[in-house]
Amino acid sequence: MSNYFGNYSLYIALIASIYLIIKSYIDTNINIKNLNKNLVLITSVQTVMIIISFISLVVAFIISDFSNETVFNNSHTLKPLFYKISGSWGNHEGSLLLWLLVLSVFLYIFLLKSSSQNIKYRLLTLLFQQIIISGFLIFILLTSNPFNTVFPIPSEGLGLNPILQDPALAIHPPILYFGYVGTSIIFSTSLAAVVAGNIGDSWAKHIKSWVLVSWIFLTIGILLGSIWAYYELGWGGFWFWDPVENVSLMPWFCLTALLHTVIVLEKRNLFKEWTIILSITTFSLSMSGTFLVRSGILNSIHTFANDPSRGIFILSFLFVLVIMSVTIFFFNQKKLTSTIKNSFIISKETAILVNNWFMMFFLSVVLVGTIYPIFLEVLNGSKISVGPPFYHNLLIPFLIPFLVFMSFGPSLKWIKDKLKKFEYNLLIIFLASILISYFILINTEKKFLLSVPLIILSFYLLLVTINDFFNKKSSLSQKISHFGFSLLITSILLNGLFSNEFNANMKVGEERKFNDKVIKLNSVNVRDIDNYKSLKANFEIKNQNSFIQLSPEVRIYQQPFTITSEADIKTTLFSDNFLVFNILKDDGYYNVRYQYKPVMIWIWISTILISIGGLLSLIKKNEKKY
Amino acid sequence: MKKNIKFISLLLSLIIVFIILLKGLNVSKDYSNEKLNSKIDFSFKVKKLFNDEVINIEDLFNQEDLSVVNIWASWCVPCKDEHPNLMQLKDMNIKVVGINYKDNPKNAKNFLNLLGNPYSEIITDKDGTKSIEFGAIGVPETIVINGKTKSIIKKFIGPLSNENIIEIKSLINEKT
Amino acid sequence: MYGKKVKFRALFIFLILISIILSIFLVTKSLEENVVYFKSPTDIKNFTEVKNTEKIRVGGMVKKNSIKINDKEIFFIITDFKNELLVNFTGSVPNLFEEGKGVVAEGILKDKSFLNADKILAKHDENYMPPEVSEALKNN
Repeated sequence: MSNYFGNYSLYIALIASIYLIIKSYIDTNINIKNLNKNLVLITSVQTVMIIISFISLVVAFIISDFSNETVFNNSHTLKPLFYKISGSWGNHEGSLLLWLLVLSVFLYIFLLKSSSQNIKYRLLTLLFQQIIISGFLIFILLTSNPFNTVFPIPSEGLGLNPILQDPALAIHPPILYFGYVGTSIIFSTSLAAVVAGNIGDSWAKHIKSWVLVSWIFLTIGILLGSIWAYYELGWGGFWFWDPVENVSLMPWFCLTALLHTVIVLEKRNLFKEWTIILSITTFSLSMSGTFLVRSGILNSIHTFANDPSRGIFILSFLFVLVIMSVTIFFFNQKKLTSTIKNSFIISKETAILVNNWFMMFFLSVVLVGTIYPIFLEVLNGSKISVGPPFYHNLLIPFLIPFLVFMSFGPSLKWIKDKLKKFEYNLLIIFLASILISYFILINTEKKFLLSVPLIILSFYLLLVTINDFFNKKSSLSQKISHFGFSLLITSILLNGLFSNEFNANMKVGEERKFNDKVIKLNSVNVRDIDNYKSLKANFEIKNQNSFIQLSPEVRIYQQPFTITSEADIKTTLFSDNFLVFNILKDDGYYNVRYQYKPVMIWIWISTILISIGGLLSLIKKNEKKY
Repeated sequence: MKKNIKFISLLLSLIIVFIILLKGLNVSKDYSNEKLNSKIDFSFKVKKLFNDEVINIEDLFNQEDLSVVNIWASWCVPCKDEHPNLMQLKDMNIKVVGINYKDNPKNAKNFLNLLGNPYSEIITDKDGTKSIEFGAIGVPETIVINGKTKSIIKKFIGPLSNENIIEIKSLINEKT
Repeated sequence: MYGKKVKFRALFIFLILISIILSIFLVTKSLEENVVYFKSPTDIKNFTEVKNTEKIRVGGMVKKNSIKINDKEIFFIITDFKNELLVNFTGSVPNLFEEGKGVVAEGILKDKSFLNADKILAKHDENYMPPEVSEALKNN
């Protein structure tokens, strides 16, 4: 039943989409005063249809309707309700339907919120957004229909993979999608503004909330992804430079650059072309993210559906959009010339350009590292992978100038500023950070050259951003975000520098020395629980002044046969103790990995602070309006 | 003029990237756990579909020759698509052992009555575990087994195409 | 006034160009140093020389009855059914590291028959075989 609802509402949505494309195209070419009421009405009908379709899928998952192929492949009657629901977007078909849902909901919100804008601009945004929507609708209906039926109806589903049953993983994709899809609105409005010729400060003000919304969701989405990797995968880290992770980081760099550029456009009416280029790039990167992840072209540990026809469709669609936008951009470039205003080298404008330069550099590094293996395999057939050292070697040295710029850039004035001759409190802060770094670094043997300036500068930036809370130069949201960011950098550096790891194969009752600690495997208890066999170990970690007990677990599932390791993590404000073990052959040895990770929790907290800053800015912007 | 050159060169580089990514898609990425060359444990017992007789799986396969195994189910839509091709194998006098995967016996029998029975023998696999022994990951799947070494020599994931049929035929002719 | 603007613009373009060239140079250099090639045991057999500074990945199956464990290390043999490679490994193994299953080990080659690995790649589930492995097995 729900299959029919779901399927036919998608067809109705497609018809609506085609009508809207034609109608809005015709309307842009005639002079009209007001937006045709039908357009808004039909957009809302389309949105409702897509919502119905999505709800039908969720219902099919909840009632375990195995006549639906997607449900059959990805669900199971024994799954907990929460995972049945999250399972509806955890698969290829459902996730695309969610993409589509967010696309149309965002467009509808845009139409409601943009009533004060130029009519031609609104029509064009509707047009471009509908082109994207129709593309996704056709893609879904042709290659990935979530409502394919199975007959005769199987009595049980196939999807009971325990690794995918994790709360962070369940909400991570939708949050990330809100971020990705938000960039589609930025893309459509930018193109519309280029054609309508209304790029300027008022447009910047209007588009800024969309940039903020996407940016906040993307930030939180990336955070949830790394939380999942840290707690569930048990590899003892939060970022692995895996292609699938990189794909979400790239639009983030671009969006962060855009977030700053839009402010220049709003305040100074500058960088028009650059803003448009960034908008187009951001969306292309979000789309490529979907393409790279869903087509199976990447060699990643996260593997997804692997049907080449799907990949070909997304790839072609992506390039049609990119070529369309490039063409529109080139043939309307005349409208974009900024009325040149005086700007001096030492000014906020320059500082933001420098910020953009760094973002673009970070972006290019990640982009090259992610797609170079694909290119090389096509060009000469050799199989390679690009590991973390590549990223570290290129990114870490550039952090030094980046931190320096970030410490004074944000406090520069618009148009023209002087480098202040001397500020006593900055000197005091600098000396304080040297002192802190000295005490931190004195106890470590790992003294590689770069770590000294990095630690000093990150503390300097941290103290400067704290100091900024006491002056009134910038907005609170900016202060919080920048403080969060410097905290993030500091935590990542400290974490990277002072983490240590112990690996061994141990038998029950054995003790091992590791630095100043003693690690003992007390016992391993085997129990049968529901649908798996549980091996729960008990470890104790002792040194002179502390004693911790950790109980990691290994679960052996029979249907389908899977082994998972559940790490045990003890978190405090200062450090995490992470322990995971694994079974080896049956001769009594267990493979043990113990990690000591300082300031782990601050990585999560600082990222949350960064997004809170964005959220504040968004709220304040909306308050001003009413 | 200068603008046009810029535009065209940008367009060209985009097209080159497109072509490379398109080719990248076709580079085969196989994610299956093919038990290639690995031996199959033939020590388990199975039940026949039509008369519920329990036999050793070993008895089904010709010790000296190649055997073809097809995993199918009546609820599996692609199985219906490959069915004519299986009938073609039957017409060529090639014996195919069917494994009926997670199926209702009544539906399975109806399926065969309706479309014809291409199999020399059919065994049931109610819980899907027998198919795993053959390294299967889904339905339909077709495996060619060397009875002497008890190893899988060829595996076709998804419905059999006409080319696959020719390949199976030539594999078997080669051997005999 | 106009002169100043032009000067600013020229300086700006100059800086952008310099920085682009610099980044291209750095990125290619880092790529050369940090790319990890994937090889099968047979590829290694055919090497003319062994570079023991360069990391490589080796994929294949863990040979039956080849895993030996002591309290620090794990030894096992990777095979592509044609040639074999002995691996010694210190570190944590992924779930489903088993004899007869596919595996990818990353490390430094000591000689043509011995790999000193520091990483064994994780797999999400039993149905997943690193694409590199199935490729290596197929080619042989």
